[in-house]
Amino acid sequence: MVGAAPGLGAELRVLVKDHHGKSVADAVVLATPSDSKIAQRAKTPVDAVDQVDKQFVPYVKPVFLGSKVRFPNSDHIRHQVYSFSPAKVFELPLYAGTDAPPVVFDKPGVVVLGCNIHDWMVGYIYVSETPFFAKTEAAGTAAIADLPPGEYTVRIWHPSMEGGENTTLRQVTLTGDGPTDITWELGLKPSFRVPRASGAASPGYP
Amino acid sequence: MQRNVLGRASAATRVGFAAFIALGAIPPAAHGDWTLGAAVGVRHDDNVGNAQFSPDIVADTLVDARVSLFRLFPLDNGYSMTVGGDLSGESYHTLTGLNNVSLDGAIALKKKWGLGALAPWARAELSVARSSYDDSYRNAWDYRATLASGRRFDERWNFWADYTYENRAASPQEEEVPGLSGDAYSQVSHSLGIILEYSLLETTYLSMGLLARHGDVVSTTLHPNATVYYASSALADDPAFGPNAYAYKLTGTTYGFRVGLNVSPTAHSLLGCGFERFETHADGGNEYAKSIVDVTWNYRY
Repeated sequence: MVGAAPGLGAELRVLVKDHHGKSVADAVVLATPSDSKIAQRAKTPVDAVDQVDKQFVPYVKPVFLGSKVRFPNSDHIRHQVYSFSPAKVFELPLYAGTDAPPVVFDKPGVVVLGCNIHDWMVGYIYVSETPFFAKTEAAGTAAIADLPPGEYTVRIWHPSMEGGENTTLRQVTLTGDGPTDITWELGLKPSFRVPRASGAASPGYP
Repeated sequence: MQRNVLGRASAATRVGFAAFIALGAIPPAAHGDWTLGAAVGVRHDDNVGNAQFSPDIVADTLVDARVSLFRLFPLDNGYSMTVGGDLSGESYHTLTGLNNVSLDGAIALKKKWGLGALAPWARAELSVARSSYDDSYRNAWDYRATLASGRRFDERWNFWADYTYENRAASPQEEEVPGLSGDAYSQVSHSLGIILEYSLLETTYLSMGLLARHGDVVSTTLHPNATVYYASSALADDPAFGPNAYAYKLTGTTYGFRVGLNVSPTAHSLLGCGFERFETHADGGNEYAKSIVDVTWNYRY
């Protein structure tokens, strides 16, 4: 989460599970205040999505609208990061280390990342219109602390979710009296990706 | 058994071992885009000698293993070059004369048209391999040129086709019959293949392939017949199949298919099983078929 002033007291705690009761990691929780002036107080920080062992780290990165995101490359090889997503079309030509310039994400929505050299590399940046967001950990839990008390619309997004994020909308009133706990049950679709390991007969990579 | 094979390995194989050890000793920071691969498999072939008639047909099961090391060089404008090689070996349960080790070196140039996993691509590869067999009759240099092209249609469907020219140059054996070449183990062939892959689950995909091959084939028999004898371009002893076995080199066309199921238990590994069926129509009315079942574990890092 970004932009909230500390010590305001309200806290939203979320648990996300799938239909089988299994914890869902990498779900983005977004809390949009009814009072739009609250969101306007946010600043736009600089975030980063690293590349480690030919994977994007983290797999899912929520950022606030207008954020700059750097793509450092911790591998000792060159990557070529790109996105075709309507929320941000960009390409970082082959680079190593920290040479790539930051990318500004100025449209809300989902940005799917790929590497043109290593086709199995997939990552997601969620560009949020609200500064109040968090991402679930392996246990399926996330918390947004120090929220200004008030009315919020809370929703969930996940790369493999069934249906749109609007199907997860909930109206919540947050007070400074203590944390508010919400549990979501999310339907997940299979997430098909280009296999990293392949048989000897596959003429793909390398 | 494998120890005997290695013990008789050629100088090329020993150099290969040394090269792999040296490459493995390079400090990680200098590795660049290296891919280390390893594969171990078990395969059952119901007609190893490509024989036509039942008395000659010999089935056997073998264990194969491979280690490979490749380095990828991403280039501009969608090109990439791969240089590397592998060391492989096969150990037969019964036909121990066919036990072998091979050292292979390859260079490939790949072009992608566009960005992303769905961009069409083409690849040209040249490779040379040296194989050393326990019976030494099949020892050969193997030269290959491959052109491949394909594209992934979406996250689930992947397709490619390839053409391979192969020239396998074995050491000619003595003439068994005056006037008929003893170079039965050298082969030249052209083959076309198409492969379609479909992801069934997140970590499981099905592969289906078709193959057509035209060129030299080697068929081994204990019971020679005149028709095949007159159609053959070379004949040699084939001690791997017994003291009275002969290998005939014929020109033939092979059609085959393969279906396989592959599961990735981890991001770096792949466990696959497959079934292949080939039918060959060769000169002199020599027609034979074979089926192969295999289970392979692949690892790439």
